[in-house]
Amino acid sequence: MSARSERSEPRRANQAKAVTLTAHGLPEHSIRDRARRGTAAVFPDVSDYGSTLFGADLSTRDELDDARVVPPVFVPRRLEKMFDLGREPLYGDVSLRTTVGGFDSPLPVFLCAFGSTQVAGDGLGVPASAQAGRLGIPMVIGENVVPMHGYGRTEGVDSGLINRIRAYAETVPDGLGGVVVQQSTEDADAEVWNLVYSDPFATGLLESGRLAFELKVGQGAKPGLGGMTVLARRTAAEVADVYAVDEAFGDGAGTVLRSSSPGTFTAEILRHQIRLMRNNYPRARVWVKLHPGRDVAHAAETAWAAGADSVTVDGAEGGTGWAPSVFLDHVGLPLVECLRRIGKHDASLLVSGRVWEGSRALKCLALGADAVGLGRAALLAVDEDPAEGLVNLVRCLELELRLLSSALGVYDPAELTADDLWFPHRKENENDQL
Amino acid sequence: MTQTLPTTMPPGTREHLTSPVTRAALRIQNSITRAAREHLRVNGFQELTPPIIGPVTDPGVRGAKQLDVDFYGHRYKLMTSVILYKQASLLTFDRIFYIAPNVRLEPLETATTGRHLSEFTQIDVEVKDASREEILDLLEGLLRHIVDATLRESAVDLEFLGRDPAAFEPMLRKAFDRMTHTQAVARLRGLRHGQSTDAEIDWQGEKLISEQTDVPFFITDYPKGSRGFTDGESRTEPGVLRNFDLIAPAGFGELCSGGERTHEYRRLIERMRETGENPAKYAWYLDLARDGLPASAGFGLGLERVTRFIAGLDYVWQANAYPKLPGIASP
Repeated sequence: MSARSERSEPRRANQAKAVTLTAHGLPEHSIRDRARRGTAAVFPDVSDYGSTLFGADLSTRDELDDARVVPPVFVPRRLEKMFDLGREPLYGDVSLRTTVGGFDSPLPVFLCAFGSTQVAGDGLGVPASAQAGRLGIPMVIGENVVPMHGYGRTEGVDSGLINRIRAYAETVPDGLGGVVVQQSTEDADAEVWNLVYSDPFATGLLESGRLAFELKVGQGAKPGLGGMTVLARRTAAEVADVYAVDEAFGDGAGTVLRSSSPGTFTAEILRHQIRLMRNNYPRARVWVKLHPGRDVAHAAETAWAAGADSVTVDGAEGGTGWAPSVFLDHVGLPLVECLRRIGKHDASLLVSGRVWEGSRALKCLALGADAVGLGRAALLAVDEDPAEGLVNLVRCLELELRLLSSALGVYDPAELTADDLWFPHRKENENDQL
Repeated sequence: MTQTLPTTMPPGTREHLTSPVTRAALRIQNSITRAAREHLRVNGFQELTPPIIGPVTDPGVRGAKQLDVDFYGHRYKLMTSVILYKQASLLTFDRIFYIAPNVRLEPLETATTGRHLSEFTQIDVEVKDASREEILDLLEGLLRHIVDATLRESAVDLEFLGRDPAAFEPMLRKAFDRMTHTQAVARLRGLRHGQSTDAEIDWQGEKLISEQTDVPFFITDYPKGSRGFTDGESRTEPGVLRNFDLIAPAGFGELCSGGERTHEYRRLIERMRETGENPAKYAWYLDLARDGLPASAGFGLGLERVTRFIAGLDYVWQANAYPKLPGIASP
């Protein structure tokens, strides 16, 4: 510290400030904020809750953003394509149709879970579902939707699980897409999977092979923690027997922090939870969502070996929900590092984290992902235009994917490789190893 | 088989209640419960009245939803089985049984198996410090006694239903076969049925394997991951459960599940996580386990299924006065 007050007693509130203390080299504003507001300052501003999508700062660039897509001069696979077509291939000849976690999809894209975040609960969930259905891309419905927003059959709540599934089912083309229902440790109490699996509402999805259950092991925004949301004090009392409720914003605040447990996993626990899902729900596919942990490759291998149809890795850039700032800024592997650790794999790998346009999507595919999830970007798009926003956003991403892939001389995105990318901050030999 | 040809679904309530088939089936069921009580009493068992609701119930039921009850603002469950209470009751008596109602919202595809009801009754038996093999012997003896007694007491009703007593001659004479899950999977694959090695025998597979024999048999040693946390894991073969199913012959399929139980506190916590359960909701049960629950083994014998088997009925709903099939609203 460069200056120090010479007083021997703490200054009282009504005493005039004799000396202004400054502390060069320290984030003085943040320290003073904590001193003033206590644990409320550990989180993003509560007043933004409900109107802001949290997650890693989208204004800064990460390694994946910095990577460049590097089309080669010589394009033997374009020649192969020309043999097929009998003419010069164009970007429209890129075939994006693929399988996403066992579901047929026109694009290597899926709609991420929004969790129980207030933003999704307040009405964006249903229009997002309808547009995902129109696109024919798979849709994940987040954990805690049933405990927090209701199942939708008797409660008359618009954001219930059923309303989202119905909105999707009404628009999805035959044979495309699928609905993936997440369950966390707290959801297990509400038996979300059993509820869906035994409900007449799910019959159509089950019979067309378009229902999956996703075991949520973790999430990108707060690796190692369970779900967190901010609740009005009066709402909190209703869920206090299921969730931990914390006065993190102060005793006088109108809101409280609701936390889920992260759930305890070992390789043995994960393996048997997956086997039990396959046993109990033989007609549903099994997805597993992992947080960007340092053992993400081991966890993904364990899940695939136990019979998971797909593993989703949420990079530390992911997440729509409430998280302590320290987790948003300092915790978890970036998506690019997760992809490096897992490597190219025959099994289905899905990723999410700050994806909104074609280049990031293509880079993920080149590093081994089979599809990318849209989370915060999808919510923003639906907020912008509830009728067409997500469709428009995805059409842009689709066009960019076609343009980029064709520029690389690749007409099937499954053939993209790390050679198609260049990382400016890595040495040339490290680029080779990707 | 009978004068009244059964359809795959129950008729209206009046028609079902006044049907001579229903009357005969329920009289046979009465013989079965009487014989079961008699056999268990002679073998030193205490009968207890079953709890109907509780904060938690048996979670190890594949794909079936539990029914919630609002108990003064607390979310309680209707019993899917009394397994947790059976273990606890061994703190009072060493050998206990219940004839207990169960409610399970089974997946809709089970409505047409002929073997599933959403509301049904089990003869639920538990024995302190018993091994699985002792329980298999007990169950074999019980079923033989039930069949023997019912053939004598209900001869007229069985004849009316067209059930030939000779069908039971092999099981009264021969020991029940015992095969492991691995052997059952191999047998099914031999029959060109694509049974998973990690999962329970699926319903079609169960029917298929049951059609191959004229004597009930046991399938033992299911893999962990196919059953709930109460099924005990082998100490010598990790990943193998010390459990069993009893399968009736001639396509009647599973009558009973059971086995040795998980009872040690740490193992219960681990197994709860392996089966995706939240230990917090099992507080009362884990509190008991922390201070010690007895080792035990036992089983739940489906009353309507045994009735169907002995009476030779096409559908399990014929053995229930007010059948509730999965997904079908009925009284």
